[in-house]
Amino acid sequence: MKLAISWTSAALTVFFALIIQELIPPVQALNGARVLLVPLVFCYAALAMPTWAMLLFAAFTGFLTDLMFLHVVDGQVEIALGWSMVYFVFFGLLAHGFQPAFLRGHWWIYVGLSIFGTCTFLALQYIMIGFRRQGIIFNDLVAWRILAPGLMAAVIAPLGHLAVKQCRHFFPDVPGEAGGYRPGQ
Amino acid sequence: MNRLNVIIVLLILAVAVVISALGSNTAQRIQAGFLGLVSPFLKTGSAMQQRIGAVGQGLKTLGQLEDENGQLAMENKNLKTTNHILRDLETENNKLRAALEYKQRSVFQLVPARVISRDSSTWWNTVKINRGFEDGVDADQPVLTDVGLVGKTTTVGKNESIVLLVTDEICRVAAKAEGTREQGILSGQRIQDSGTSGEMQLNFLSKTADLQAGQKIYTAGVSGGVFPSGILLGTVKSFKARALDGQALVEPALDLSSVEDVFVVLGAK
Repeated sequence: MKLAISWTSAALTVFFALIIQELIPPVQALNGARVLLVPLVFCYAALAMPTWAMLLFAAFTGFLTDLMFLHVVDGQVEIALGWSMVYFVFFGLLAHGFQPAFLRGHWWIYVGLSIFGTCTFLALQYIMIGFRRQGIIFNDLVAWRILAPGLMAAVIAPLGHLAVKQCRHFFPDVPGEAGGYRPGQ
Repeated sequence: MNRLNVIIVLLILAVAVVISALGSNTAQRIQAGFLGLVSPFLKTGSAMQQRIGAVGQGLKTLGQLEDENGQLAMENKNLKTTNHILRDLETENNKLRAALEYKQRSVFQLVPARVISRDSSTWWNTVKINRGFEDGVDADQPVLTDVGLVGKTTTVGKNESIVLLVTDEICRVAAKAEGTREQGILSGQRIQDSGTSGEMQLNFLSKTADLQAGQKIYTAGVSGGVFPSGILLGTVKSFKARALDGQALVEPALDLSSVEDVFVVLGAK
């Protein structure tokens, strides 16, 4: 029951993260880089949920992300629906490997994975667009647009972790409950 | 990883492959449904942003107010002078308008729309507007302001649509240069510098075009195309002759990063 509530809360958080990041303007001081919240939310879930729940969550997150970023121009889909599902499944499996350390209190793992997840998501998106269009162009601006969101993730992730820790007071763990949602301590 | 997890991974990958093979129309229909779900939140968020922005703009320091007062006094003097000139021009303008029956000559049927959000993705230049198929909007319709072209609609939901901005690399517009016979294809750049309002490239011009900075660029309006002829796109910033053709760098007619109110062209009147 508790896992179901946690999963639903995480799903709602991803939904609202997609909307909030849409409303946040680009950061001009960082060469117009955007704030991405979805990889952060997913990363936390991947570190805290049991594997099967995390995999279902990856599919859900990926599908919503694809719908938000789908661009069809002149009948051509730029990046096909479904790629984010694959991305979040593999990223989730990688993050999930660090779960024992995270649950032991190494919260910085979450920060590191958030940076990695945000940057790789953007880099893979850019590479796919490059294949679809006239080749890959790489310059300082591209580097900024990929790395700066990771930098912002490094700032936001500890705050997010702190917020979830505070929320835990409202939903205390049931000792010994199997498969319980146990955010970092 | 146990057997259950392996099965889930394989199932998700299979679903991803299936949905990746969906046609563009089906994908757009699903996206339109999703847009319908998120648009009430986007509209509320956008309204809140505007209110917060208005409060922030209203707060000024005493020094700023003094400076502003000085500037306004100067501006007032200038305006009084230009006002006399403008009155004459207004009379002349009214005469010309009446003569040309401007309103009757306007061929576009327009639907006013408001930008509710800008794309949070890094690699695309799009905005979402608060008009959809219930308002008569369809895919591939031009979006403009009284100043110039904004872009074209792509995915259209019930009460919201996605507009691909003219500064995006994949938005290509047949364009012509003012006062010449030069025509080319205008498109945005993949990565826009945040310091500019977005620059565009006008390609496939003749090598001898020699466009001058400040020259205006308009839509060419090819038959069967999306954009009607004569809509302002921007002004030439620079021109260079390449090995096979000429290329001009074009500054958009309007700042697309701050555009709020737009019109969707539904068709001819």
